[in-house]
Amino acid sequence: MREADERLKALFAADEPPATDPAFSAAVMEAVLRREFVAELALLAGAAAVGALTLWAVWPALAPAVEAVSEAVAPLAATLALAIGTIFLLRGPRRAPAPAES
Amino acid sequence: MTPKGADAMLVAAAQRGSTEAFARLVQRHQQAVRAFLRRACGDWALADDLAQETFLAAWGRIGQLRAGASVRAWLCGISYRKHLSALRSGSRRRARDARYERERPPAAATMTDERLALEAAMAELPADQRACVALCLAADFSHAEAAAALALPLGTVKSHVARGRARLLQVLGDGDA
Repeated sequence: MREADERLKALFAADEPPATDPAFSAAVMEAVLRREFVAELALLAGAAAVGALTLWAVWPALAPAVEAVSEAVAPLAATLALAIGTIFLLRGPRRAPAPAES
Repeated sequence: MTPKGADAMLVAAAQRGSTEAFARLVQRHQQAVRAFLRRACGDWALADDLAQETFLAAWGRIGQLRAGASVRAWLCGISYRKHLSALRSGSRRRARDARYERERPPAAATMTDERLALEAAMAELPADQRACVALCLAADFSHAEAAAALALPLGTVKSHVARGRARLLQVLGDGDA
């Protein structure tokens, strides 16, 4: 019985792909990263759309207040927006690092 | 570190969003998943496509993988369900036939008569029996592991393996069947 099973196993071994296949792994990870990118893009587009709609809805109420304070805070707001944008661009997306294998 | 311990660490990191950790999981398990699919569907090009889809689905569901669960069995379970879906959409299989013929090494040149007989016998087995044989006889899964991976009752897996084994040995002309 054991001999027959070993024989079957040896025949099945011909189907075995290589233990490491960089091309296959790269193709999988390319697909994974593409999916991640599309998901992030969809999230950002959704957030932007929601923000734009909200702004459009509240603008009539907001406009007088914005006009009143715009001259005073415009330089500060522009500087802050630039600084925050630069920080986000330099840091990139945050991901957990892979653990080191021993 | 044991392979299971390394898997657990990589899974935990992947669950926190690390694509690098997931890439290592792909490297560690691509051989097992692709070998299972090759044996389960017999079509190497389709098997590799399904393996890629399996890992893509696994990335989407990595959060559902319980701590301490076997990554290999979990991936084989996903790939089995992908294989069943592919079987149901036969058109997909037909569309890939041409590519399969191109990519696969010529059978007569590389396969022995025994290998050809084994492949023909595997092709005759029902899909669930074939999957049980592929896991338990070719990939050293225990019956319980295979039952968990394929979502089949343990008794069904045992009888599938016994019948599949007997059929394969009979085709190979082994008196042990």
